[in-house]
Amino acid sequence: MTASDLLVALPVLVLAAGACLVLLGDLLVHADGRAWAWVGAAFALAAAVCTAIPAGADAAFAGSVRRDGASIFVAALVGATTAAALLLAVGYVRRMALPAAEVTALTLFSASGAVLMASAGDLLVVFIGLELLSLPLYALTGLMHAAPHADESALKYFLLGAAASAVFAYGIALVYAATGSISIGALGGISSPVGLAGIALLLAGLAFKAALVPFHFWAPDAYVSAPTPATAFMAVVAKLGAFSALLRVGAAITGPGAVAVDWRASVAVIAAVTLVLANLAALGQQSLKRLLAYSSIAHAGYIAVAASAGVVASAAIAFYLVVYAALTLGAFGIITLLENDDPRIDDLHGLARRRPLLVVALGVILLGLTGLPPTAGFLAKVYVFEAAMGAQLAWLVVLGVLASVVSAAYYLRVLFACLGEGEGEPARGPSVGGSVVVIAALAVLVLGIVPGPLLDAVQSVRF
Amino acid sequence: MIASALVVVPLVAAILCVSATRLARPIAVVASLAVVALALAALISGAPTSASVAWAGPLHAGYSVAADGLTVIFLALGGVLFAIGAAASSRVGHRRAYFALWCLLIAAVDGVFVARDLALFFVFWEAMLIPLAILMWQWGGPDRRGATLRFLLYTMTGSAFLLAAIAALAASRGTLDLAELASRPVAASGQLLPAMLLLAAFVVKLPLFPFHAWLPRAYVAAPIPVALVLSGIVAKTAVYGIMRLCLGLFPDGMATAAPVLVALAAVGTLYGALLATRQDDLRRFIAFSSLSHLNLIGLALFAATATSLRGAVLASVSHGLVVAALFLLVAMLASRTSSFALSRAGGLAASTPVLAAFSTLAIVAAIGVPGTSGFAGEFTMLAGTFERFPAAASVATLVVILAAMYGLGMLRRAYHGPPLAAGVDLAWRERLLVIPLLVLVIAVGVVPRVVSDRIPDDTLPSVEVTR
Repeated sequence: MTASDLLVALPVLVLAAGACLVLLGDLLVHADGRAWAWVGAAFALAAAVCTAIPAGADAAFAGSVRRDGASIFVAALVGATTAAALLLAVGYVRRMALPAAEVTALTLFSASGAVLMASAGDLLVVFIGLELLSLPLYALTGLMHAAPHADESALKYFLLGAAASAVFAYGIALVYAATGSISIGALGGISSPVGLAGIALLLAGLAFKAALVPFHFWAPDAYVSAPTPATAFMAVVAKLGAFSALLRVGAAITGPGAVAVDWRASVAVIAAVTLVLANLAALGQQSLKRLLAYSSIAHAGYIAVAASAGVVASAAIAFYLVVYAALTLGAFGIITLLENDDPRIDDLHGLARRRPLLVVALGVILLGLTGLPPTAGFLAKVYVFEAAMGAQLAWLVVLGVLASVVSAAYYLRVLFACLGEGEGEPARGPSVGGSVVVIAALAVLVLGIVPGPLLDAVQSVRF
Repeated sequence: MIASALVVVPLVAAILCVSATRLARPIAVVASLAVVALALAALISGAPTSASVAWAGPLHAGYSVAADGLTVIFLALGGVLFAIGAAASSRVGHRRAYFALWCLLIAAVDGVFVARDLALFFVFWEAMLIPLAILMWQWGGPDRRGATLRFLLYTMTGSAFLLAAIAALAASRGTLDLAELASRPVAASGQLLPAMLLLAAFVVKLPLFPFHAWLPRAYVAAPIPVALVLSGIVAKTAVYGIMRLCLGLFPDGMATAAPVLVALAAVGTLYGALLATRQDDLRRFIAFSSLSHLNLIGLALFAATATSLRGAVLASVSHGLVVAALFLLVAMLASRTSSFALSRAGGLAASTPVLAAFSTLAIVAAIGVPGTSGFAGEFTMLAGTFERFPAAASVATLVVILAAMYGLGMLRRAYHGPPLAAGVDLAWRERLLVIPLLVLVIAVGVVPRVVSDRIPDDTLPSVEVTR
């Protein structure tokens, strides 16, 4: 282990160190709970910033961890998202009487797992990252003992998640049996049935983490039961980790000289099924949190649309992920500002009169989620559709645009509910969380009007 | 510069509206008139209006705007209608929000007309929906919720296909700039599919028969000024889109589909007129008479001869002016009978002669009597269509009879016969709203060249397709 090894893995180390520090600090210092969320946010931001430090090497630990455009991008985005989610938690943990240090540490551990998945050079490191990402999420889901079904959702998530991890591990074993290597790069040489079965299991395990249909059954329950800042966190970071690993595997099996079967057709089918089912399921929801849960599954479907074009769509996926992160943080962030943690859509009546600024922010975010201009959500969708069109997937694009129309129906229902008359849900005054929401909405708007810098930045991302 | 200003001025006005409750309406009126002034300045000065800035390069999308003769006509029409619509919005609640949304709508509509990049066009095209939907939802009548949702879902479904076409063009052509797309045409045999995908958005917004199910509900539910611009200018964005995008980029694809489209438009023309004879609600009456007129414009567009396209522009201007006058007059009538029902009016001419006279003039223009703008547009369209589709043009000509039936029938029931209702005649404030429209209707009718000469040949799509 050399200094450059450490530099390559620096974002992971900063996040994990932050988690350990918060856990230890909580034992030694009796600080106000909110302080730990601030400390955690600082570490997460530091992890994002330290991606800018040149490492002097592209790989570390004998190729197990690598540093390239994609891993830098994921580390920066995970760091920023984690920081924002922890800032949302500042007021929330106090109000809900949650153990702040535990929430912060679990979030940071999970974030480090996601970064590790994106930086992995071999399948075992992917697996370690996957577990590091998942285990804290199970705990976070079950943290709200007061919420109905929290324990049940956490158990369901854990059991299904453990099964998915087992599937993934079994896939590694089969791949190892076929190639004698656990390197991701070795996947390209697979042609034997055993190896192909292994690849299929790897993809299934990752599709579970990305909450793609039909591996999504855990997601709505887990999203509703988890503390809302943690929901925002897992909706973004778990998908980031899963999609980057999925694309790494995909890049290997379609790379130059690869003999493995084309995986893209199966991703296209999964994307189509996800778009249809998630959007239709979201239509009937009354709980805002559950609606957003299905919406986040639908957005995973759009990312999968781009992924079915292959790794050439890396830039489109990266752009979509950034926009999706801002939208998700904003949308769930607004729930953290309401008194009720699991509001029904009808509870939003009259919000526009009492908190006009908040509703303008919500409006921008909902337009972004729908994919309407002038928000960045529109450009993100166009980018994804252009990528899919470039891969001759016209049927998938038509399905995708029609699914957007369906999604407009339920997003607009939320917006119009805010405009409605009535008392409804009381909202809290200005707070840290409120500024996060406003910043997220501004980012969505500004990126829609001036997308140039971000578009240039994501061109260097190639999974 | 001027083309960008056409979008920026209303945007600034929207911000000003938010900060000034008392001045919101004057600001909206001035912004609309500024659009007219800028459009005319672009026409007269002859200075280059275009601007191009890099926007989203990796998506093949750029910011590219320009204002040519065709654009200017629609912009000027829009400015006039927006100004009168804002002036007519005298008793609305939440004035700051209302007029800010109004100005945003102006900016979006202007953007649609000046955009010279498909992605930018789509941005403005969808941006029109947001203020329109909120205006309908918050300030509309009893049925506003259902009507708004239906309007949104219909138009967004159409736009979805437009977006798919844009993604396909970007992937296959590598550019979305209209000029560059025109210089890299799609092979004639491959034009049908993209043409139809683009057209999907426009036939819903126009709306072409049978994609019109949102229209009567929206016209009834929307507040009168919003219904006025919805019919007067927002529907014309579809006319413009068909002309500039469908016919401009895919003339062969449009020619292939023309027989079907022309047939639908001819049916829609008569269908709208027939239903208009049977309406009791005056707003539904306007809705179906508009449907008839807009389908006739569609017929001329799909026939796509040089004459019929000129006629379509002329008829768009005429319909915009006439329908605006009709909506205002109907609202004034309703404020005297406390109802939009035709059966609650009758014999009003005795007590409100000026209202009756104005309504007669507007209806006469809607029927297309010579001397009014309606005649100039309809005649040119039908004459042009006859060159290529004589049967459809002959059938559609029957609309003149039906229009006389519904128009004169409405006048007779509302203003003549036994006096069932009475009211005070138009105040000067009300007259001032309608008079500019009626003056323009007569002016365009007497000297249609003021409009048709403003359309340079090179802004019309080249339509001389050999078949």
